[in-house]
Amino acid sequence: MTRIRAWAARRHGLDSLPMTIHRRRVYILPTRFGLLLAAVLVAMLIAGLNYNSNLGLAFAFLMASAALVTMHHCNRNLLGIEVDAATEVDAFAGREADFEFMLRNASSVDRRDVEIRCLTSTGIRSVLARSSDPVTVAVPVAERGILRIAQFELRTRYPFGWFHAWTYVQGALTAYVAPAPHGSRALPAAAGLGAAPRAESSGDEEFAGLRAYQPGMPLKHMAWKVLARGAEPAVRSYTGSSAQPEWLEWSSLEGLAAETRLSQLCSWVVESDAAQRVFGLRIPGVEIQPDRGAAHRIACLRALAAYGAPSP
Amino acid sequence: MKERPLSRAELTAIVACLALALAVHLGSLPHWVTATVAVCAAIRLLLAYRGRAAPPRAARLAIAALAIALLFVQFRTFNGLSAGTALLALMAGLKLLETETRRDIHVITLVIFYLCVAALLQANSFWLLAYLIAVCWLTSAVLLRLTSAEPKPDWGRSLRHSGRILAQAVPLAVVFWLFFPRFGGPLWQMPDDGGSAESGLSDSMSPGDINQLALSDDIAFRVQFATAAPPAQELYWRGPVMHDFDGHTWTPVHPAILSAPALQPEGPEYRYTLKLEPHRHNWIFALDWPSHWDLPHGALTSDYTLVQPDRVSQPIDVAATSHTHVQAAAPLSAVWRRRDTAPPAGNPRTAELAHTLRAAHPDDLDYVRAVLALFTRQPFYYTLTPPKLADSSVDEFLFTTRRGFCGHYASAFAALMRAAGIPARVVTGYQGGTFNRFADYWIVRQSDAHAWNEVWIDGSGWLRVDPTSAIDPSRVDRGLNDAVNADDRLASRWQRRTVWFPDVRLRLDALRELWRERILLFDQDSQQHVLEWLNIPEPDGQKLALVLTVALCLVLSWLTWEVRREADPVRKESLVRAYARLCAKLAAGGVARRVHEGPEDYARRVAAQRPDLGPAVTALCRQYSRLRYAGAGAESTVRQFAAAVRAFRPRLKPPGSRAS
Repeated sequence: MTRIRAWAARRHGLDSLPMTIHRRRVYILPTRFGLLLAAVLVAMLIAGLNYNSNLGLAFAFLMASAALVTMHHCNRNLLGIEVDAATEVDAFAGREADFEFMLRNASSVDRRDVEIRCLTSTGIRSVLARSSDPVTVAVPVAERGILRIAQFELRTRYPFGWFHAWTYVQGALTAYVAPAPHGSRALPAAAGLGAAPRAESSGDEEFAGLRAYQPGMPLKHMAWKVLARGAEPAVRSYTGSSAQPEWLEWSSLEGLAAETRLSQLCSWVVESDAAQRVFGLRIPGVEIQPDRGAAHRIACLRALAAYGAPSP
Repeated sequence: MKERPLSRAELTAIVACLALALAVHLGSLPHWVTATVAVCAAIRLLLAYRGRAAPPRAARLAIAALAIALLFVQFRTFNGLSAGTALLALMAGLKLLETETRRDIHVITLVIFYLCVAALLQANSFWLLAYLIAVCWLTSAVLLRLTSAEPKPDWGRSLRHSGRILAQAVPLAVVFWLFFPRFGGPLWQMPDDGGSAESGLSDSMSPGDINQLALSDDIAFRVQFATAAPPAQELYWRGPVMHDFDGHTWTPVHPAILSAPALQPEGPEYRYTLKLEPHRHNWIFALDWPSHWDLPHGALTSDYTLVQPDRVSQPIDVAATSHTHVQAAAPLSAVWRRRDTAPPAGNPRTAELAHTLRAAHPDDLDYVRAVLALFTRQPFYYTLTPPKLADSSVDEFLFTTRRGFCGHYASAFAALMRAAGIPARVVTGYQGGTFNRFADYWIVRQSDAHAWNEVWIDGSGWLRVDPTSAIDPSRVDRGLNDAVNADDRLASRWQRRTVWFPDVRLRLDALRELWRERILLFDQDSQQHVLEWLNIPEPDGQKLALVLTVALCLVLSWLTWEVRREADPVRKESLVRAYARLCAKLAAGGVARRVHEGPEDYARRVAAQRPDLGPAVTALCRQYSRLRYAGAGAESTVRQFAAAVRAFRPRLKPPGSRAS
């Protein structure tokens, strides 16, 4: 199978997305069910000939012809579909990378049972005539790093499951797999390099949310009402334009293994982002200036994912 | 691929398809097999509706082993049609019990397909074929739904698409049908397990037997005469001949002796083609008396019945020649004379009557006439519902009940002849037939079944005597149906009394005959005719294979084009295309439509800039906006608009521009 994939990759070269599936790249083979059907068709034919039964033969011929027609319909089910994909996705190790695809069917026939396969994961859906539909393929990712998928597959068994038509798309998909966010260290206080310690509160601070209580946090910010409800102890966190940027530092985690450090940093990134705080990230080779927002968060997570990976 | 459990609807649908496929086998399946399959289906459905999984594996295995053992005990084999079908049905039923995933359904659909073929192997009915194709259509729609991802097509769409696939398969199937090489006979002999019951005459005759047939409208055979047909009263179609009588039942010589004494034909020769329906016996109902026949292994028995070694299990055509009048060329051998004069045991009054009559009529022919006159004069009745006869059946019939059917009369007549020392035998077969004037052939139905006698007259040979005609002469002239009592309760009979019905019936039968001729009897010879028709010289197997390949390529290319076309993106509507063409023409004329301009604004601007085009463009644009925005335009008006746009040829420059 890998050899076939490699051959297809050489044959088609790199594809640019969105791509319309041309008939020259759709392959088809009978499924196990199709092979069983072929055996039954042969048995029908032999029975018809043996009993010299013209009606038996007529039925066998009709079924055999239907199988041949089915082959064409199976092949057609993929032809002309336009496929597009989000080429870069983010994920955490130990979870799944959700690759998003968009299938567009500009023809007047429904395309039932279109399956997209990345590695061993699949997403399946019917794309009705003149419509576009998203398909998500959830690829489990176990390890931190950058997962590159050079090729994915579109497959179908429609209409009867007797044939299996497929095509390879050489579209580079990348999943940035950030480390699984965990770690027991408390967030470093908002005291980056050279930042002077300042009063715990000032008038223009805004309430930004709750975060888990860690020993050493000021009791003043303790969310007593939450504690009174019997929940985990939490503290109120504040943010404000005057908030000092906090630096999430590789170097502040001396004595830990690299992956543990990354996990801890990741956990901090997630936490700080959830609290909408301004933060920066410093790991060997990368320094991301303090900022906040979704793009910043993604940049930080990708930097953590890419740690130690050769730059592309 | 991950297997997902089946939904209730899917399970119910496949059970329904299996039931429809099994319905045609109900007659031949042992009842317990049908019951087992039904119970399995019911259990599985019940479990599904209760939301529970299939029964445990051990239970399923135990049931399967028990059922298959029972089946083997019943059939002693799994080979052959009945046993094979029963095994398949049973397997499908048991498979239902463990059906959890798509894969299990796949197996069941294959069983359904094979059950369909098994039902057709010994059948000839167009309607059965149509029904089974419908079953197969339904089954494929179930498969289609099963294969579809969400959103699943509704049943209408599934049926439409699988129907389309079947319809597109028809041209291919026709090519296979026409050019796939056929073999004359079976590839290997299958055990003759009597998968379908014998029909028509049986190989023995008890008085009263034939009246079961008299109620049947089934067709025994059709006959097309190449020469002029003989008069209707000479249409005796010869079947098995009975020699031995045990007082209750007449039986033929068994095994048949295949050497017919020579005959001297007299009178005109009749040539005809006998189109026999399968009856699963090995005799062929030739016209009395056959002299030539076109049948590879056909032969005449010593009784002049045409037989072949194999049972007739498929429709066959037999071309034959007969003479209705013959003379024996050789005297009757002593063995046969002894056998055919053996009087029926235990009928003393019959013997006494015979002796009395014989004393008065020493001449054989006189005696025959006297017995016939007895039937005419005495109050003998002809009825389909005669009283039951005890052991001394002839005595009882002749002296007590005096009501009977052709079998009773033939039996009594033969007994009276034998008691008087005249060799006599009973011939069974068919008499008469209905002429189909729409297609020039005779239809002989089971209701034309008849029994008559032959007596040996020294010097001239076997003489046919039909004692039934002595009772009711009209019966021989007009067939059995009119002889049937008026209080006949069969529903189908009313139809025959209406005026229009016989015509419709005959026309329908002509269609049926066409089906039989073109479809059921299509064989190597027909394939040769097709090749000859295609102007292929000296057709043989190789050329047939070549034609098959070429025709398949042609049809497959068409199919590829036809199916692929659907995958193309939808082209713009013809209306939009026509409008685009109009705009292009005007742009060439110097007034290009601006992107934001609607048809009305555009027309106004064109009218301002090119007053010469104004009226035409205003009309066209108004027509377009009406078609486009004022509800759906009919196809014809869209076409009119397109034609008007095509006809619109604006001059590239305004008329006055050259002068300026």
